[in-house]
Order: sequence, then C-alpha cells, then structure tokens
Amino acid sequence: MPLLAVRDLSVTIGPVQPLDRLSFTIDRGEILAVVGESGSGKSLTAMAVMGLLPLIGGKASATELSFAGQDLRSLRDRDWRALRGRRMALITQNPMTSLDPIIPVGRQIDQVSILHLGFDAPRARARSIELMEQLRIPEASAVHGQYPHQLSGGMKQRIVIAMALAADPELIVADEPTTALDVTIQAQIIQIMVEAARARGLALMLITHDMGVVAQAADRVAVLYAGRLVEADRVGPIFGQPRHPYTRDLIACIPREGQAPGTLRGIPGSVPGVFNYPAGCRFHPRCREAQGLCAAEVPPLRQEGPRAVACHFPNGAAHG
Amino acid sequence: MADNPLVAIRDLSRRFASRPGLFARPRIQHAVADVTLDLARGEVVGVVGESGCGKSTLARLVLRLIEPTAGRVIFDGIDIGSLDAGGLRRLRRRMQMVFQDPYSAIDPRQTIGEAVSEPFRIQQIRRTRAEAEAEIERLLTLVGLPVGMARNHPHQLSGGQKQRAGIARALALNPDFLVLDEPTASLDMSIQAQIITVLEDLRRELGLTYLFISHDLGLVRYFCDRVVVMYLGRVVEILPTARAAPRHPYTRALLESTFEPNPARRRDVARLGGEIPSAFNLPPGCAFAARCTRASAECRTTRPELGPEAVACHHPL
Repeated sequence: MPLLAVRDLSVTIGPVQPLDRLSFTIDRGEILAVVGESGSGKSLTAMAVMGLLPLIGGKASATELSFAGQDLRSLRDRDWRALRGRRMALITQNPMTSLDPIIPVGRQIDQVSILHLGFDAPRARARSIELMEQLRIPEASAVHGQYPHQLSGGMKQRIVIAMALAADPELIVADEPTTALDVTIQAQIIQIMVEAARARGLALMLITHDMGVVAQAADRVAVLYAGRLVEADRVGPIFGQPRHPYTRDLIACIPREGQAPGTLRGIPGSVPGVFNYPAGCRFHPRCREAQGLCAAEVPPLRQEGPRAVACHFPNGAAHG
Repeated sequence: MADNPLVAIRDLSRRFASRPGLFARPRIQHAVADVTLDLARGEVVGVVGESGCGKSTLARLVLRLIEPTAGRVIFDGIDIGSLDAGGLRRLRRRMQMVFQDPYSAIDPRQTIGEAVSEPFRIQQIRRTRAEAEAEIERLLTLVGLPVGMARNHPHQLSGGQKQRAGIARALALNPDFLVLDEPTASLDMSIQAQIITVLEDLRRELGLTYLFISHDLGLVRYFCDRVVVMYLGRVVEILPTARAAPRHPYTRALLESTFEPNPARRRDVARLGGEIPSAFNLPPGCAFAARCTRASAECRTTRPELGPEAVACHHPL
C-alpha cells in the first residue's frame, strides 16, 4: 500500500480550477519529483497534500486522498494539526519564511520535538544537535544558540530540514528547497535530503522546475503542465525515453557537459494563466509537434505499464 | 593577453570596511583582489563562483558603478578611472549592464516602451516621436517581444519577458559590451534557456562582447568562450576554453556540483564540505585550503599565485 495515494485531485479557488484531476502515489522510502514550470500547479499540489488550501481559500476534491490508510478528505482541523509537523512536514523555498527571526535556530528545532514527541527541554536539545550533526552543520552546539540572521542561506535551509525531521515524519514535502541557493550548496542540500530519506525510509515529495535536480535525486517523476499531469514514470525511463514533448523540452533546457554552442533549446512562450487555459491539450500552443487534434481534444492520460502519458502523439507527430 | 582587447582589467581591487560596533576597529574585506583580465572583441568571458566570491563586485567595478580601491579598467584604450562624470556617461553608451532580478530592474510605474527609451533620455539624445517609436519597435523585436508590449507595465509581463525588456534597454544605445550579472538566476530553467538563446543570437547579430557572471559552472561552460573562476575575491583559475578540464580543485568541485540532466551520472558531491569562509578573516595561505582534500601544510601558509598556467594552486590536478 502506498504511503500517500492521490487520485483525481482537483483544486478550485473561487471560480477557477488551477489543478485538474491529478493522480500519483508515493511509497515509504521513495522520492517522487513533481516537476514543471512556475504556474504548473506544483505548489498547489503540495498545499493540497498538506491540508493547507484553506489558507488561500482553495478547495480540494478527489476520489482518493489518503495517507497511511487514513482518508484525508474528511479530516478535521484538529486531526490535521496532529498530522502536520508530526507525520508529514513541509520544507519551503525560502527558509526565512519558516524561521522566526527572534528565536535562536536550535530552540526552533527543539520546539518541534517538545510539541510533537513530548520531549523535555534537555532531551529536545540533545536530539536537535544530533540532527544538526547528521545534516553536517559544523559546530552544531554553537549554531544551536545562533539567530537566523547569523547563518548563511544554506545553513538556514539545513535548520529548516532539521525542523522537518525533528518529529520523525513519514512524509516530507519539499517545495523548491534549493532554488534560492548557490549550486554548490544546492548539491549539498539535495544530497542531505536524499540521504535522510534513504536512512529513515521516509517518503519525499520533491517539487522542482529543474530537471537536473530530478535526475540527481528522484526515483520517480510526475511532470505537470498548467494544472494537469502530462507524464509520469521512473526516473531512468523518463530521461531515457521521454514521450511527452513537454518532458522532452524540459530536459533539453539544461546544457549537458560538452553540448555544442547554439544548440540549447528553450521552450517558447510561457505557461498560460488559469484564466487563459487553451482548449484541447494545454501545451499545444507551445508544442513543436502539435497538430489539429491537439487544439480540439484533451488527450486522455493513458497508462502503459509504469508509464502514464497524456499526449495524442506520444511518439512524435511524424510517426504518430 | 590579447592584442588590442576591448576591455583590459589591470590589478583591480576593491576593499570594503565595516565597523562591527560603534567603538570597534573597522574590519577590512577584500571583495575583489588583484584581478587582471582581458576581454577580446566579440568574446564571451564567464565569471563563476559562489555567493560572496566578489563576482558581482567585479561586474560593478568593470563598469565603474563603484570605484576601485586600486587598479584600472581600460575600455577600448580609454582608462575609465580617468574620466569625469560627463565623459563616463558618454562612454556608458558603449557598455551596459543586465541585472539579475528583472522584477526590480524596471520601474513599476513605467511602461515597457518608456523603460526601453530611458537610456535616450538619460543621454539627452533628442529624437522625433516617430524615431522614438521606431526605435522601441526595433529593440523589442530584437529580443523577441511583441511590439504591442511597449504599452504594458512590468507587472503584466512574466519574469522571462521582463528580462527580455531589461536586455532591450541595455541594447538601446548600441553598446559593444554587456555585463550580464546572473541574468537568469531568478528564472525557471525553461526561461533561462530562452534568455541564453536570445543572448547567443544577439552576440552573433551585433558582434557583442559579454562578461557573464554566474554561479552555475555548467551553464557557463555551455555559454562562454573562457571561464574565470573566483574564490573569496581572487581569481583561482582561468579555463582557456570553456570546455577545458579543470585543474584547480575548487573548479572541479564546482563542476561536480552542477546538476546534469542525466540520472545515469549521479554524482557524489560530499567532497566539497563546508562553506565559503568569512571574507573578513582570510587565512594566510590558499583561501580554499580549509575545504580542499588536496591541501598540504604549504597551502595553509603560502598563497599560491595565478602564474602563467592560470591556475592558483600548489597541487593542481
């Protein structure tokens, strides 16, 4: 049984529906990358899974939304509070939005195990320092007493990860956890998160716009475009044989080592806003292989073995 | 050194002083130290390094947006440090900057057309209304924006469109030289690739010379002809061609940190431990020694010079 099971998840905010019948699962110990450009619905998916949509006036509907066998759709606020931070944790892009600037960072980690695990202060402190050391924070006991402004961006993000791990959760949702950081620090943070997931057998939902991060970290990949799932599979086959043109384009956006000058391909245009979703396949105005059918009919999501793909011409228009 | 370079940077340094407390002694930070570099006409030189390595300070020094503590920048034979305000303003027609954050680089109250025309106003170049409109049309077309966007305000544009507008504004006065300060760092990968493609096309069509600042060595190796690697204010290596194998351990560590879109080549990045030390308390030897697996006693006492092989390391790879 998967730890998290999502079937036909739609999100509405007032009159608009920015997320349309999304389905995916995550097993324990598995890293699922949810990938797409800004405006593809990645963060909304995270908020729906964490039960945070009421904060932005959003509503979720789904035929299944379950965590460890528990139906999340009927959960009351009190039950959500028992779940969030304890059994599922969120890591956001900007660590400053997760950290209180006037409380030492170590105490903020302590609070998690005091609140959720009932630890007393000395035991919480010992656990926080142990976690900080596992995340390779040098001089952890000294850093424990420092304030957020005294730490670099990479260190702050490690503190946020330590907070997420403090209550020993089963699922971590990481929403662009490294986007604001230098590449060297990005690489360290991604590696730390992958190690933590492997060592603890926790499920990680990694949200990113960077196919490089996906390639380096994920087990499975779900590609979103304009609020819909367009392709999903294990990471190897997704990169080896991407079938949706959008997946192919996302991979081609990143220069490979030794790539010849002048051969990089961006994706023309940008993701349409929720008020301007085109008819048919929402990617068709930007798609190099679009044909008449693509503008007329929504391509159904077809499951072929482990691969799911929503495209009328998944093998290229020429061969379709 | 190239013959007749467009930009010649000589022993350029900039120190910043900060006072930790009211009565404390000021601390000196060497943001940029002794940088010497030539840019040939039409060349794209990348400057790469982590936050705090001085690459953005270098970018600003090269355009004299801030004053150096020592050293010179010679643009097409003219020492820009010797110019008065008027002379510098006139020379700035030929050298322009594209900023990292397209969200704050354009005044939200201006239309895109006004923003793109701003350089003409600052330089007091008089034009008829028809000339001005033709110029806006030319510039927006050059960067791949629809002409009708001239009437839009920045909030109506996406991040990628705003950055294109920023590039159009930098191109308004037909410069020879652009300093690109992380122009894609705040954009999605798909949009980064668009902007890089626009910059490649413009370079070819207009014969531009670029100084490209970035923290992403993978991107720099794709886009640039030569690569300058900075660490704590100093150049530690210059790769003679963008694809040359790194010889400085720091350059290799940067390369290993890039995320290649290939799951068959996952990297172990644990090798680059620790973080960049404080620029206020620089160790006496090689600044990278504390993070380097090859460091010896010599590295901790004697600072390696860049030398004729353009690698500042006692134990190069």
